[in-house]
Amino acid sequence: MKIVVGIKQVPDTTHVKFDANGNVQPDSVELILNPCCGYAVETAIRIKEAHEGSTVIAFTVGGPQAKDVLKRAIAMGCDEAYLLNDGAFQDSDAFGTARILTAAIQKIAPDFDMLLFGQYTDEDLAGITGPAVAESLNVPNITLASKAELKDAQTILVERQTEQGLERYEATLPAMVCMANCDYEPRIPSIKGVMKANRTEIPTLDAAALGLAPDQVGKAGSTVITLNTWRKPRKEGGIKIDGSDPQEAVTQLIGFLKEQKLM
Amino acid sequence: MATSQNNTGIWVIAERTPTGAFTDTTLETLSAAKALKAQNQEPITAVLFAAPGQDIQSLEAQLGQCGADQVLSVQHQSLQHYEVSLYTQALTQLIEARQPNIVLAGASSISRDYFPRVAAKLQTGMAADCVGLEINPEGQLEATRPTFGENLLAKVVIPRRPQMATLRGKAFPKAEPNPAQSAAVETIAPDLNTDSVKTKLVELCETGNGGGKKLEEAEIVVSGGRGLKGPEHYHLVEGLAQALGGAVGSTRAVVDAGWRPHSEQIGQTGKTVSPQLYVALGISGQIQHVVGITSSKLIVAINKDPDAPIFELADVGIVGDVFQIVPLLTKTIKEQNLTVSV
Repeated sequence: MKIVVGIKQVPDTTHVKFDANGNVQPDSVELILNPCCGYAVETAIRIKEAHEGSTVIAFTVGGPQAKDVLKRAIAMGCDEAYLLNDGAFQDSDAFGTARILTAAIQKIAPDFDMLLFGQYTDEDLAGITGPAVAESLNVPNITLASKAELKDAQTILVERQTEQGLERYEATLPAMVCMANCDYEPRIPSIKGVMKANRTEIPTLDAAALGLAPDQVGKAGSTVITLNTWRKPRKEGGIKIDGSDPQEAVTQLIGFLKEQKLM
Repeated sequence: MATSQNNTGIWVIAERTPTGAFTDTTLETLSAAKALKAQNQEPITAVLFAAPGQDIQSLEAQLGQCGADQVLSVQHQSLQHYEVSLYTQALTQLIEARQPNIVLAGASSISRDYFPRVAAKLQTGMAADCVGLEINPEGQLEATRPTFGENLLAKVVIPRRPQMATLRGKAFPKAEPNPAQSAAVETIAPDLNTDSVKTKLVELCETGNGGGKKLEEAEIVVSGGRGLKGPEHYHLVEGLAQALGGAVGSTRAVVDAGWRPHSEQIGQTGKTVSPQLYVALGISGQIQHVVGITSSKLIVAINKDPDAPIFELADVGIVGDVFQIVPLLTKTIKEQNLTVSV
């Protein structure tokens, strides 16, 4: 089984701080493996462990520092990793990123059986890259997955959380699965894994190596243009009720809800 | 074709629940389309996927009453249920043939699956999970969408055509039907390649949640956090949810600890809710939870730690003991027969 994981390095948006103008304070930015991508790697490794002879190949689009998440993927158990880096790739939107990943998969792993991506990146929250790659590679995709395992050599079983409840899908391989969250957590790399990651060479592929024209990637290749961003308006802290007298607190709360015409 | 600026018309891709009714986000998307039509004067076309012989006349009529000028009723034996390859083919063909300017759908587990594929195939762009839409002076669609871990909002445009977008649930009001309005219905029989079907839904386990209410669509949500100290105390959350007629949610910490199922998890790696009333019990307000509840109309928090970050977000908070306050609150609501007006 040849499994491809597409991963992304992102700022840890849960700890980032903003200045008064709503700009990110650079010293508060810690770069991490995107959480959904962590589930994709973990799921790939689990499938590999259950099926002898499998290989997992990781790809990421990013600058030289993005090698960190590829090293982490190898430390977790991936076999190979490729950094897709070129000045021209900068500011690619999700569709441009999908074009870069598609070209890399076609070059390095055209005989893949399975693609495992994160559902979305915390940075962009769009959920576009995985399905867009699947479309370009002409394979089916199942998004919002919470579990993926092989049924047999040709079929993957996927669970996904939807508005209707838990859906169980079967897909004929090759197929793309986009992981949203799982009942299991991405593993912490072992010391042996980290040592292996330090020994493993991580090749870099640029636009020329991938046969990508400058107008297919970066700003020029983007079909979604961001005009501006601003801090989501935060509510002022509301009313605080002292709960040391529970009955009085409940009366006050209900009074407030009635005042708001909610009750 | 993708770069042509001659495209015209606002499309709404309708989606139905398993029982056949339109989803709330479909009705919300129709109202968003009406607001855009008021700005660019382009007609609204609703697209409905169905199998021939399915009883959909009343649905077609409803689309007209809710603002569609035209309904494209796309009928094929294989379109009875959603399948990624078939929906991708059907919508792509239709867009290529008719060249709309704007194509909208509610953000759902279905549109998240196939909308990006359609956009990729047409080499156009798509704005996901929009919370605001307007036509700018140049006649372009300007979409506002959350980004950067829900910390920021971004305004985006799509230079190519059609301009595709999905709309976050509850970000727009639902379209109200006007019985005097109707739409011209055109039935289309698409030519679909069913050999490309590689996925199959084998089972659907409906998650019973607070009397069967879907968490994402609930108008009232009561959630519990680690402050409840153990799964054996979750009846406090369930009891209050029942008294209020709401759904039950959980924080990631509670789900990770195995107290509650994943289907209840709200936040960054869980669900996003936008109820009229959100009640947080014993929840400290970690950002990974908070990002899932910021669209709530009114947030009530009960927590014993006065410095808990949840109080910064809550409209009203009680600094106190959930084990004392929640039973009293539930009892009072029941005794006084109080109901939440949503």
